[in-house]
Amino acid sequence: MSSGLGGLDRPGAPTSPGAWDERSEEWLSAEGAVLETAEEDVQELPEGDVRETAEGDARETAEGGVSESAEGGVSETAEGGVRAGAADSRLAAFDAPTSTRTTGPRPASPRRTGADPVKALMHRHRALCERAVDPLEIAAGLEAHGITDRTASRFLHRDVFSLAEEMYARVPRDADAPPSPAPPDAPRARADWILLSLLPGALCTSAVIALHLTHGQSRLIAAAAGALAVALALRAALARGPLAGKDRRHPCATRITWLAAYALLGDGLLQTAAAGGPDALPNGAADGPWPFTTAPVLALTLSCAPAAWCAHLLAVRARRKLSSSRALEEFATSAKPLLLGAFALYLGALAALLTLTTSVLDEPLAYPQALTLGGLLFLARLLTTHGFTHAPGLVLTAAASAEAAALAALFAARLPGCAWLATPVETLVDTWGPSAIPTAACGTAALILLLHATRTLTRASAHATRDQP
Amino acid sequence: MLVRIGLIAEGGYPYVSGDARLWCDRLVRGLGQHEFDLYALSRSERQEDEGWVPLPPQVSRVRTAPLWTAEDDGVVYGRRARRRFAESYGELVGALCAGGAVDGPGAAADAFGAAQHASATEADRFGNALYGLAELARDEGGLVGALRSEVAVRALERACRARGALRTAREARVPDLLTVAAHLERALRPLSLDWYEDDGLGSVDLCHATSGGAAALPGLLAHHFSGVPLLLTEYGVRLRTHYLAAPEASPAVRSLLAALHGRLAAETYARAALITPGNGHARRWQERCGADRAKLRTVYPGMDAARFAEVGEAPECAEPDSLVWVGRIEPAKDIVSLLHAFAEVRKEEPKTRLRIVGSPSGAEGAAYLGHCRALAAQLFPDEAEGPHTVGDNPVSFEEIGGPEIPTLADAYASGAVAVLSSVVEGFPIGLVEAMFSGRATVSTDVGAVVEVIGGTGLVVPPRNPRALAEACVALLRDPERRERLGAAARARALELFTVEQNVAAFHGIYLEIVSRTPVRRLVLDEAGDPLPFAVPAEAHVPGRWTERTARLVARGGPARPPGAPVRATALPATEGAR
Repeated sequence: MSSGLGGLDRPGAPTSPGAWDERSEEWLSAEGAVLETAEEDVQELPEGDVRETAEGDARETAEGGVSESAEGGVSETAEGGVRAGAADSRLAAFDAPTSTRTTGPRPASPRRTGADPVKALMHRHRALCERAVDPLEIAAGLEAHGITDRTASRFLHRDVFSLAEEMYARVPRDADAPPSPAPPDAPRARADWILLSLLPGALCTSAVIALHLTHGQSRLIAAAAGALAVALALRAALARGPLAGKDRRHPCATRITWLAAYALLGDGLLQTAAAGGPDALPNGAADGPWPFTTAPVLALTLSCAPAAWCAHLLAVRARRKLSSSRALEEFATSAKPLLLGAFALYLGALAALLTLTTSVLDEPLAYPQALTLGGLLFLARLLTTHGFTHAPGLVLTAAASAEAAALAALFAARLPGCAWLATPVETLVDTWGPSAIPTAACGTAALILLLHATRTLTRASAHATRDQP
Repeated sequence: MLVRIGLIAEGGYPYVSGDARLWCDRLVRGLGQHEFDLYALSRSERQEDEGWVPLPPQVSRVRTAPLWTAEDDGVVYGRRARRRFAESYGELVGALCAGGAVDGPGAAADAFGAAQHASATEADRFGNALYGLAELARDEGGLVGALRSEVAVRALERACRARGALRTAREARVPDLLTVAAHLERALRPLSLDWYEDDGLGSVDLCHATSGGAAALPGLLAHHFSGVPLLLTEYGVRLRTHYLAAPEASPAVRSLLAALHGRLAAETYARAALITPGNGHARRWQERCGADRAKLRTVYPGMDAARFAEVGEAPECAEPDSLVWVGRIEPAKDIVSLLHAFAEVRKEEPKTRLRIVGSPSGAEGAAYLGHCRALAAQLFPDEAEGPHTVGDNPVSFEEIGGPEIPTLADAYASGAVAVLSSVVEGFPIGLVEAMFSGRATVSTDVGAVVEVIGGTGLVVPPRNPRALAEACVALLRDPERRERLGAAARARALELFTVEQNVAAFHGIYLEIVSRTPVRRLVLDEAGDPLPFAVPAEAHVPGRWTERTARLVARGGPARPPGAPVRATALPATEGAR
């Protein structure tokens, strides 16, 4: 049942001079200055009776030159009144301090109270007084320092609460300089998530190399093993760092897998289906009857690292903006360019990676579909990371089903009487090539998510740390 | 008569590592004739994993909920619900931003009463907003998500920038707003609980909240929804604890949080049927926070007196020249001052010895103990009886469980005078133990010491070694006075601070509340509609004795001695020197 003291100073082994600093020394050592100080203080006191007491006390001190102990520092009247008031509430024997008020030679004590005991008290507890946001906080702090109602009566107050009120009212407050709080520590770049974000790209690269080096049955095994390894690496990369979600579940995993699979096989399938195929399963080569387009997928897995960096950059900058902005509207305005900048940075990095992979793998350039898919996945992940799971799920479903519908329409058109089903898809493919389908689906979805993100991710609440006390 | 009591605890009973589990356990075991439903809020995952204490059969059900985490139930508000939320939340934070009692240097100290009067409307506003949010949570759910949403932060910003807001609140920056919103979400988690249905807290006759703050919130809501009377017990005032433990944050955050806790405390005090502070100190704080004096009943914590019976009955077994100090060694106990006082005592009475019994608490306590040992060695050289004997120090540091002092009672038995030198103290348990042991005591005037000791011991100002020494010498020289004071102290402690006293007081308070403010429940007909005039006013008998008669008889109702409703408890002596 003892009271927790928190960070307040307590009695204990002395480590520093504490509240007795140079000002205290000066204040105490100047023997002749006591009268001056006292009178100065008297001017500030609001109540008349206190003034009398204080003046009398100060005169006595200055004339006699006899210092008083802390307990005896209040004048006779005050002490007498207190005794009478406190007598009924207290039965315990309490005899020690009265002896100091007897006339005759008193033991010289280094401590003395000036004319304004409350001022001295405030000086002792000035950290508490300056910090306090209301009088009760001062009261709690004073009590934690052992000041009771009996002590408060020495300061001519009925109880600690009214003493605390006087102290709170007398604290000088300069309105122009509120102490600025320490900025919350920004998330740091850490080795674990940096390495993990590189892992999917590395595994995908080795899987592609394996595909190029193997043939037949072993190629199939290599493809399956590579896909599995990349999926696991992606899961690990998204489990921590700036791309980690609030909860551990991955609600969009199937939709993302479908979109990635379409990027790998979809264009080839669409092309062969439009030509009446497919007649054989894909053999893993880019120039087969059902071609693999590995370059975009490789670029996407490699772009995990820049994506993590962009998200990290956004988080750090947003945190900085958060601590420097005064209003929510101000934060929203300053966060929008940040978000767009991070998105553009990611797209740039993805484009560079695409150029690299296509030139190395010697495949046709596929910027539109890969860039839109990358942008869509990045935005979906960013929103999920900040706790908005609803919209990304919806939009990803729409994009995936649009692609599936295009394929299904082509195959359904082979049924008798349903040839009209394939007309829109075929028109699209004939006009812009097979990449038009994923580009349109992912592009629209990414645009919708971008609009959504500029509204939601610029909110201050999206960037609040959830695990705050 | 059987009363069904909903006992609400936060981070306490029935968890093994709970705060106030000891007295709750004694209360529940001591009132076997009543029925207890426990509603426990856990404070951490670790606490939940550690499990519960064994529960007596009168506990009919236990419901728990975590306070350390809140699952978003995924409910997204529609337009109307969102507007309802924004209105209630805006009112709530508006009441907080309007500030507490006194603000700024303009308000003089004596204007407090007037300011409090003016803030009565603000308190009303706070209460209405709180119940509005609770109703929303009951009707729609999804409050956790809403409290974390942008709507909440925007409402908070608007309230902070409004006219008449606190000076500190007006300076709130965006991170401050987010911090306050997060704290509010945490503080209002009990609103989302499913405890307020008719089979939950709605079915009890009386809610007993074992502390203020989060534990009182379910009681408040049960009172609001079902009219169940609320009894609030506070051994330490939650608001004061909040001030002392306030985290480092900007002034805006601290002032808004202080306003939140202050308003919540005031609302709890206003709605509670009775409030039982644990001592006069808590009582003063409660009065200061707006508790009505007529509702306050001080119930002192009960302690097991049986352990000290042997020592207390035989005061002559004490060593005549020794002082004893028992407690946990930490800086707030000011042992340094005690050692200085002892040096003065030795000047007058050179044969005196001082025994300091206790173990340090934490690293800080250990460092302090080392400092005290060094000081003792410096102040008092070792001394021997003659030139051929081995000497030792007149100050000894001992721990309970050693060969000389096997139990706590032996610690008190070893000294003629028990000394308490703390500068900070809540309810002085060590002093009560010394009183049970029939020792004359010298204590410092801190915390609840004066009200505990009454007139049965000497009290000196804190941080005054000379006064402490004079009082000790006076007692050491006067064995007759020592004996007289010791006997009086033991008699006082046996009357005021026993477990039986505590349990009997709560028994009486339960019956008083149930008879004065009974829960009026509607009687429904077959169709489920309320039946008008089903319960005539004169038919009301407090409690539910009619439908429970069978069980009462089965448990030996007639055989129970009618005059002894309280069972004394024999608990294992696990309570060491605290």
